[in-house]
Amino acid sequence: MTSMTLDLHEDESRRAQKAADRWLIVGSILMGSLVLGPLGLPVFCRGIYLLHKAQTAGLSVRPMMVTLIGYVIIIDAAINSIGWGLDVFANHALITRTIFTAWGNLMDGGYFWHYNELWIGGAGAPGEKSWIIICIVVVFPMRIAAGIAFLQMRRWGHQWMIVTCWFGLITWLGYIINMTMYADVRYAGVAFPVIGWWLYNIFYITPFLAIPYLHTVNREIFSD
Amino acid sequence: MAGRNGMSEQDRRRHRALIVFQIVVYGAMVAMFLVQLQMFFVKDW
Repeated sequence: MTSMTLDLHEDESRRAQKAADRWLIVGSILMGSLVLGPLGLPVFCRGIYLLHKAQTAGLSVRPMMVTLIGYVIIIDAAINSIGWGLDVFANHALITRTIFTAWGNLMDGGYFWHYNELWIGGAGAPGEKSWIIICIVVVFPMRIAAGIAFLQMRRWGHQWMIVTCWFGLITWLGYIINMTMYADVRYAGVAFPVIGWWLYNIFYITPFLAIPYLHTVNREIFSD
Repeated sequence: MAGRNGMSEQDRRRHRALIVFQIVVYGAMVAMFLVQLQMFFVKDW
């Protein structure tokens, strides 16, 4: 009788986890696509609500903190991959030339100043370009892979999440120091210098906030 | 008992190191922001 109840509890938990993940995955794909972000947020929130409901009902589902960190890291990497992927591979497309330079003119001259004038096209500052390429080729794919394994509660997912969050820290510090070195060029002639850039980017800078959590969480919850 | 004390001491050190780490990291970022802000007030952008 006891084992039957335990089996039932396990089945019920698995079913609730799957139902929540279905909403969370669809929401993440929509938000990760950049342009469909506003549609994805309510879908994602419904997934979080379902997970919370399952937790309060006493089912054994993935901890909320692990869920939020995992999905946010994946969404962050996906959004930036699309934006910077367009900058590297589609910098002569009409949409890129229009939206990127308009946005650059608004708050970040890095996407206006000498746009499409390097041999590779896109953003014209050598430092900026280097960060773009290293991020879309190495950092972001690594983050998405780590995020998926982290959500599956695998041990390597936890380990690689730590690696990729430290990498994120190096990336952001390096990126900000680099842009500050030529801030005079980067902000010259834009509509909202400095304040505009920081307001827009502050949300992208935060994912390495997960580092203290990742180093103090009970690692036994991540299994092989 | 000694083991438990050892554990908590290690945890305390780990927490302290993480706090120091966060102050250093955010300090570096705030410093960059302040450099940009100073330029914002001085330069004719």
